[in-house]
Amino acid sequence: MAERIVITATGIISALGLGTRQHTEALIHKKAGMRPPLHLRTKHAGEFVCGEVDYSNDELATLLGLPAGDNGYTRTTLLALAAMQELMNNTDTTLFKDGSFALVNANTVGGMCSVEDMYPDFISEKTEGAFLKYIDTLDCAESTLNIARHFHLKPFIATISTACSSSANALILGARLIQNSVVQRAICGGCDALSRFTLNGFNSLKNVDKEPCRPFDANRFGLNLGEGAAYLLLEKESDAIARGAEILAVFSGYANTNDAYHPTAPSPDGTGAMRTMELALQKAGLTASDIDYINAHGTATINNDPAEGKAIQMLFSSNQPAFSSTKAYTGHTLAAAGAIEAFFSIMAIREQKAWPNLNFNTPMEEMNIQPLTEVKDIPVHHVTSNSFGFGGSNVSLIFSKA
Amino acid sequence: MMKPVYISSASVISPQQHFEDKGLLQDIISTDDGMMWVREPNYKGYINPVAIRRMSKLLKMGISCGMNALQKAGIEKPQAIITGTGRGSMVDTEQFLVSMIENEEEVLTPTSFIQSTYNSINGWLALQTKCSGYNQTYVNRGASFELALFDAQMLLNETNENIHVLVGCFDEITHDYVRVKSKIGYWKKPLPASKDLHKHSDTHGTIAGEGSAFFTVTNKREQALCSLDAVKMLQDTDTGDVIDNINNLLAEHNLNLSDIDVLLCGMNGDSRQMEVYNQLSALASENTTIANFKHLCGEYDTSSGFATWLAAELFKAKEIPETLIARKGNHTGIKNILLVNHYILNSHSIMLLQSVQ
Repeated sequence: MAERIVITATGIISALGLGTRQHTEALIHKKAGMRPPLHLRTKHAGEFVCGEVDYSNDELATLLGLPAGDNGYTRTTLLALAAMQELMNNTDTTLFKDGSFALVNANTVGGMCSVEDMYPDFISEKTEGAFLKYIDTLDCAESTLNIARHFHLKPFIATISTACSSSANALILGARLIQNSVVQRAICGGCDALSRFTLNGFNSLKNVDKEPCRPFDANRFGLNLGEGAAYLLLEKESDAIARGAEILAVFSGYANTNDAYHPTAPSPDGTGAMRTMELALQKAGLTASDIDYINAHGTATINNDPAEGKAIQMLFSSNQPAFSSTKAYTGHTLAAAGAIEAFFSIMAIREQKAWPNLNFNTPMEEMNIQPLTEVKDIPVHHVTSNSFGFGGSNVSLIFSKA
Repeated sequence: MMKPVYISSASVISPQQHFEDKGLLQDIISTDDGMMWVREPNYKGYINPVAIRRMSKLLKMGISCGMNALQKAGIEKPQAIITGTGRGSMVDTEQFLVSMIENEEEVLTPTSFIQSTYNSINGWLALQTKCSGYNQTYVNRGASFELALFDAQMLLNETNENIHVLVGCFDEITHDYVRVKSKIGYWKKPLPASKDLHKHSDTHGTIAGEGSAFFTVTNKREQALCSLDAVKMLQDTDTGDVIDNINNLLAEHNLNLSDIDVLLCGMNGDSRQMEVYNQLSALASENTTIANFKHLCGEYDTSSGFATWLAAELFKAKEIPETLIARKGNHTGIKNILLVNHYILNSHSIMLLQSVQ
């Protein structure tokens, strides 16, 4: 049997704050990060609440020791660097000087947050201006390469983009790279900044709630967008023990499947989501009754929640574990969501608490199970974390107590 | 070290030829405007006829090329689908972005937003083949296709079952893209005819290209076109390190440079990016044929997909079309092909492919 992969360090930034303590406190005190955006320059700023990170770009730059103003770093990259700086502060960075390691990043729209404001200059006759510093920033790998360069790292580099499951896939790739002895350790996660492109894109799909989102509620209307970044350090259990590192959790199982049902909608009967969760359990050598808490994808869109809810109901039948979506806390952070929610799952294990699903009032007709609405002190040994995305992309991860 | 895997079919859409064309590089197409657009095949028969009407070119390219690779391998449903793209559907991205700016964030239609998602081609391929297995998309500039191949090799090394992995890549040119990148010196000035690109390797800049390539990859040696032995990606490194990596990779496979029959080089005509190819050419023995390919497909993030298709075709043809040859070697037959590619934004890749005969 393959050796266990463990998580030994994390770094996170979201609308709930920066770092472990601010996130845990917000979760425990049911303090959501949703408000009308201040930094996103959209004409819809007054209409929508978003999970926007409080720091401005200049504040993030200062935090990172970078010059303020048009420094060539997009907000996407600044968020990634801030989360990575947290991870680097929480671990022995000499690990990244000697041993082989991977940096697996995930992202959906690259530096669109900057490009969308500068695009008229990009395609104009102008050949000079600050916009030139951003001209190679639209693609997803921009943030990945900036992480490596900023922290002087020479890792195996990969960037994944599978819509809303992207960083959950980054964690899977990291584990596989270690299991296949390609690298000894892997830093895995994802980042996305709010952009008018994504806000208007999801809004054109009539998928965005102007009010705080209501996952798994009969009266839900859609998602709230969020932004953030999170990175986790993965290594073999024996390597972590050998260097005396604190093991935060075991990354015990995962599955990546495709719904093969529709370009954007999940299979409504939940079979795709169920099969993914089931395969992750098999990989972990667990059964449904071993799971104590499910951090659901729970976007609060019309389509996702009943499909995912039915999948949970079918798979866990008579042993329904506590479940919730934490998207009402952070908004849907797209490529960062899988890693942010992996972090929340690990914190559930660390704190022995299951996190509540904010804004839930009315049960859905399609389901006879309900999400948690309060923080619940329960023994948490195993947590399932789901991430589903456009293109039928389904990912389920399992984290276990060390 | 990972075990080799086997390429059982290869399909291409390129500026020179597409999967419905016969032969290998029979009439060379050359352009003078610095943009090498693909020759489009008839997409009908490969794509859901209702959905095709709303699809942008890149989606049609990627989906049809993937379906054709499966067809060539006689596979209806692969067990996994893995792709790489540097930029995804630029047409859809630009369309949604420009209409959002022009309409001041009002009255937008979602089609181009959905299609701009980098994994939309993966989703369609899964949907059309009913493949509910592993599905992954890499978006990592000049290493995107290489990462997809690397993942396929890893996936096949993780199983003893006879599974088929569909691996591919796709990227497209747009006029806006060419204009935007002209501001940071991507393109040659003045523009040579594309067929003469390598005669101008003493000046800065390259020419733009696009294309799609798809492969089915398995653990089965029998009836394969060739083996894929190793693929390696390097970022932000220097020429010496690239050469060291090439030598190490060959040594791991009990080979050295003189065993290479064809050194397939991604030189793109830019003098600033010639160093690694110049050093390799100096190190290569008389045995080795040094070959070029970017005068045929232009420069783009996943041009190594075109080169991999070309390598598979060379094993099949057992001879090297004149247009590829920069320096002819004394080798008899084609046993080992080493692909070395440098992409504009300081990434290198190395790929070792071997004959299975």
